[in-house]
Amino acid sequence: MAAPKVAVLFGFGINCDHETAAVFNLVGGDAERVHVNNFVSGNRSLEDFEILAVPGGFSFGDHLGSGRLMGNRMRFALREQLHAFVAAGKPIIGICNGFQVLVKTGLLPGPGAQTPLPDFVQRASLTLNDSGRYEDRWVTLEFDAESPCIWTKDIQRIDCPVRHGEGKFVMPSATDFDALAANNQLTVRYVDPSTPVGKGMTDQPLPFPLSPNGSMRNIAGICDATGLVFGLMPHPEAVYAKWLHPDHTRNSAPGPLTSEALGEWEGEGLQIFRNAVEYVLGNR
Amino acid sequence: MAVTRVEVTPKQGEGMRDVRGDVVRRQLMADHNIKVEEVRSINGFLIKSSINKSEIAERVNDLFSDPIIEDVLTDTLFLSSSEHFPTSPDAAITIGFKPGVTDNPGSAAFDGFKTIFPHHDHQIGASISTYHTYAFFGLPEEVTPEWLASTLHNNLIQRAVTADAAGCSNAQWPAIDYPEKPPQTLTPPQRMDLEISDEELLSLSETGLLALNLEEMQTIQAHYRDEAIRQSRAAVGIVADAPTDVELECLAQTWSEHCKHKIFASKIHHIDLETGEDSYVDSIFKTHIMKPTHDMQKEVDWLLSVFHDNSGVIAWNDDWSVCMKAETHNSPSALDPYGGAMTGIVGVNRDILGTGLGARPIANTDVFCFGPPNWEGDLPDNLFHPSRVFRGVHAGVRVGGNESGIPTVNGAIVFDDRYIGKPLVYCGTVGIMPRKLPDGRESHIKTPTAGDIVYMVGGRVGYDGIHGATFSSLELTEESPSSAVQIGDPITQKKMLDMVLEARDAGLISCITDNGAGGLSSSIGEMATYTDGCEIDLAKVPLKQPGLSAWEILVSESQERMTIAVKPEDCAAFDAMAQLHEVEATPVATFTNTGMFHVKYEDETVAYLSIEFLHDGVPQLQLESEWRTPTPELFTPETISLPEKAGHSNLLLRMLAQPNIASKESWVRQYDHEVIAQTVIKPFVGVERDGPGDAGVIAPIHGDPHGLVISCGIAPRYSDLDAGAMAAASIDEAVRNAVCAGINVDKMAGLDNFCWPDSIESVKTPDGKFKLAQLVRANRELERVCRAYRLPCVSGKDSMKNDYGTGEKKISIPPTLLYSVFGDQPDVRFTATSDFKNPGEKVYLVGVSKEELGASEISFMLRDSGEANGIGGQVPLLLHPEINITTYRALSTAIQSGLIQTAHDCSEGGVAVAAAEMCIGGRVGAEIDIDGTGNASVWSRLWGESLGRFLVGVQPENEAAFIKWMAGHPITMLGTVTDSENLTISDGYDVLIDVETTSMVEAWQKTLDMTGGVA
Repeated sequence: MAAPKVAVLFGFGINCDHETAAVFNLVGGDAERVHVNNFVSGNRSLEDFEILAVPGGFSFGDHLGSGRLMGNRMRFALREQLHAFVAAGKPIIGICNGFQVLVKTGLLPGPGAQTPLPDFVQRASLTLNDSGRYEDRWVTLEFDAESPCIWTKDIQRIDCPVRHGEGKFVMPSATDFDALAANNQLTVRYVDPSTPVGKGMTDQPLPFPLSPNGSMRNIAGICDATGLVFGLMPHPEAVYAKWLHPDHTRNSAPGPLTSEALGEWEGEGLQIFRNAVEYVLGNR
Repeated sequence: MAVTRVEVTPKQGEGMRDVRGDVVRRQLMADHNIKVEEVRSINGFLIKSSINKSEIAERVNDLFSDPIIEDVLTDTLFLSSSEHFPTSPDAAITIGFKPGVTDNPGSAAFDGFKTIFPHHDHQIGASISTYHTYAFFGLPEEVTPEWLASTLHNNLIQRAVTADAAGCSNAQWPAIDYPEKPPQTLTPPQRMDLEISDEELLSLSETGLLALNLEEMQTIQAHYRDEAIRQSRAAVGIVADAPTDVELECLAQTWSEHCKHKIFASKIHHIDLETGEDSYVDSIFKTHIMKPTHDMQKEVDWLLSVFHDNSGVIAWNDDWSVCMKAETHNSPSALDPYGGAMTGIVGVNRDILGTGLGARPIANTDVFCFGPPNWEGDLPDNLFHPSRVFRGVHAGVRVGGNESGIPTVNGAIVFDDRYIGKPLVYCGTVGIMPRKLPDGRESHIKTPTAGDIVYMVGGRVGYDGIHGATFSSLELTEESPSSAVQIGDPITQKKMLDMVLEARDAGLISCITDNGAGGLSSSIGEMATYTDGCEIDLAKVPLKQPGLSAWEILVSESQERMTIAVKPEDCAAFDAMAQLHEVEATPVATFTNTGMFHVKYEDETVAYLSIEFLHDGVPQLQLESEWRTPTPELFTPETISLPEKAGHSNLLLRMLAQPNIASKESWVRQYDHEVIAQTVIKPFVGVERDGPGDAGVIAPIHGDPHGLVISCGIAPRYSDLDAGAMAAASIDEAVRNAVCAGINVDKMAGLDNFCWPDSIESVKTPDGKFKLAQLVRANRELERVCRAYRLPCVSGKDSMKNDYGTGEKKISIPPTLLYSVFGDQPDVRFTATSDFKNPGEKVYLVGVSKEELGASEISFMLRDSGEANGIGGQVPLLLHPEINITTYRALSTAIQSGLIQTAHDCSEGGVAVAAAEMCIGGRVGAEIDIDGTGNASVWSRLWGESLGRFLVGVQPENEAAFIKWMAGHPITMLGTVTDSENLTISDGYDVLIDVETTSMVEAWQKTLDMTGGVA
């Protein structure tokens, strides 16, 4: 079976495009870096791809708020293409700046479960970390096993770096969060690594640096009601191999014991990308 | 055209914070101990356009404000809104840019503006300018708005308006208007009469900021007296018997110390008053740097390109080559720490992009030298407090590196009082490129031919950055010009970078270089040497504002520009690529083979210089050098009384808190060090990821564990005793750091970056001969050590005027060599970090401790506190580097074979500090005995900084194999890692140090945590 075609956006200050393309290729995807303007101008069509990734970076320098200007370009220029993409059951991931872009286009969290397809209305935001600082540090993430998210199937807990200055997830009211929680869309949260696996998630704000940004309900990432669109602030692609984990010289970097991609050296982050590739193959 | 004001402020409410305001509040606390109850922030946009205000007001939530988190007002000041600001502030300050200064948020906003108002007519002449307003509540009475404003803005590039409590309560808000640029007047090219007296020649050089000496001015004068030259000039219609201002400026840039490295190229008469040596050095650069590297190039096959390109290139494997360059940006960083440092980092990124046919930047290094951040003494006029320089430089490098998507993997921060006069800001970048392009060309070789079209790509040319190269060739004064400062625009550069690398892979580039110092004059001028000629039309160069004169267009150092040569048949494809990426690319010149640097403005010739005269016409300097060993007061620690029991314990905590040793984590963590998903060893390591990393290790090809090591060494204070020893120590430290990560010592290369005070004897510099002798000694040691280590210097740079002021007020930096190493790491799965791994791990010293306490960190600490008289004594020496390298090879291969996973360089603070840092990284204790580590005194074995040493941890099951592996090399068993909570260091039966690990963590982390916390 032909490898699923993955469009990895780049241009205008996106800067994790190379590694994002590489991790899809490691798990059987056929990733191509495509400049945003190639979709905007019609040189290329999103229709030709089965997975869309919006990587991390500093699109437009994050001026006027992270992801906002890129979000606008997509909201105004790619509206129909994106709607059709999700309606066709194709997965989208936004990582870090890509998550910010998806939130600001309104793709995340998106409308409710009754009418789950994109309406491009912004309902949430990612704002400046409570610390006021951009930081690169490792955090521990735990995933909601009941989430409809197709990207996070069978993943419980991973270590991952965050690298952002605007990662605090906010929504206007508690009922907004409750609605997402009821549908298990609060897919991934920052947790205290000393808690037992599976018991880490809490709505009570964790102290810095367990929660690196003061995110409401410790949210690190969410999905839309279809489970196809997923965004998160941390960088799972940055731990595709155990040698990228800070504990690797201590012989205690976590991850699968063996994998086709990297033998005993596969890191914990790769499964997210494999899930999407397998999802596409399984739905052909 | 109307200006519409839009203001945005964070919503107030549960869980919402005004983070920008909080940052200001915390910094006032951290830097000045001023407690303010609350600071609120407002972002302002001044939109100049033909669209009416109501139309803009309808779309504000689509662009300027985020409706989830922000409130917005159109054409009303938030401060005047009692709904949003019910209490009147105690002070309010608005800060905006001065006219013509790069406003990145403004340009980004304008880009977004074009998305929501796509009609072209609306965009003509439109633009957006931004500002910030801060409102202070609960401000202590003694803090004035004027003082607050002075700490929050730099009046070189920004303007501030303030209101005090009375003003605020009377609605006299600090409003700022659109910064309209005053119209520039285009001055036609001028004839510069050089038939004047020597005195007038010098005065012309000085007032025109040409930075040329008398002999150089006379050389130019003589050139224009040549009859043949006059005739050829008349033939092209340019003034025949004198230079135009364009030519004089062009020569001044090209011949500047900054561009021509005249001191390194000079003929030096060197006298050593101690040995009686009386000799000549004909170019330090050729003798001590170039020759050794060229000799090594004959013996290895991996040195692809050295010295002549924008960075040095080595073959890394069959498919990829890697390159590295480091630059300094000292003078601009002194004037505008933020903008100066940012242009430093994005500038050196362009050096990588401009290497060969274009390399991709994949890692940054940043090394800073500052005055002490807690300085309480006087500050000379026009200089910022070191803490402000620190913050600004850090922010500039952080934004420049992070927004460009290049990880900062290695660096250092060094403190000394003398860097108050001139901070040193070293920025380095590593690049990678395929060995061969798809069209078969080797990517490290430029392939221009006459007839190629020369494009200027990226940013536009403005008034910013005029005279940067000549200015950095002068000492700082109170009147240093603001035009020498620019602010970088990383996103414009990132777009350009994406585009250029695609153009490279498509085979569209025949030659490429960066526009840095000297602007187009240098970039096109240097590339024109390949084909022996060029013809430029300055009228084609896109400008930021109309009215720039020809010479200004030619020498302006406006940022984010590359100069790229394209074959005529490839121009259409190149243009299309630029359009896709929204990058401005304009043909401005053609390569010729006429031998002439021919510059026109439309049809008029404004400069007509032979390539030969432009590049080789500068006369060689003749300089005097005289060495006498400095004899500062001796450091005699034996006279210091210490507590009887574990008497050095408190000294250890004090040493860990010394700025030069203390953790820089709170600063370094703000750099993205992991973008590109390749960083194996991060700047901070260990269980809590807060122990010191020795070197950066990256595995740049995804899925492949083949690695690269990047490290640095710097030891400026050794120059107080001997600049030669300083150079040797810097190189050795860089290599040791790399060895700790398992570098292949037989495939590594180095970069030498010299920052020196003025070394030419003159009225301004009466001790110039000595300073030049320091340079001679440093370079002699550089050659000796590099030859012994077989470590080629493949690129480098020098910055030779690092002084402030004159006479008694003069401050000269200590002569400083930053040595950077990059090289092969065979397999990153086998590397090492400094943290102790587990109780039971055995601790070994590799190397020997000698009686070498001169200029050590402990000597400076105890002299500064008054407990010791001086820092004099034996400076650490590298007597037998050819033996050291064999030990390094043994240790590095032990790491590569997986025998050792714990290794740490032993430098500032000696064995005691190294052991402490390893305990901090592992959050464990250790029992160490320094008995048997040599014959030196207790003080030397504990605190001394003898070169060639490491502390390593060995698992008990590997101990026998390790000892066997290291047979023939000096290793000493020191002790064991313990599960106790203390580090104890003894000398036989005498306990010297007994300190809890938690206390060490606290001491080490608190000094430089200037974040003000997170509350």
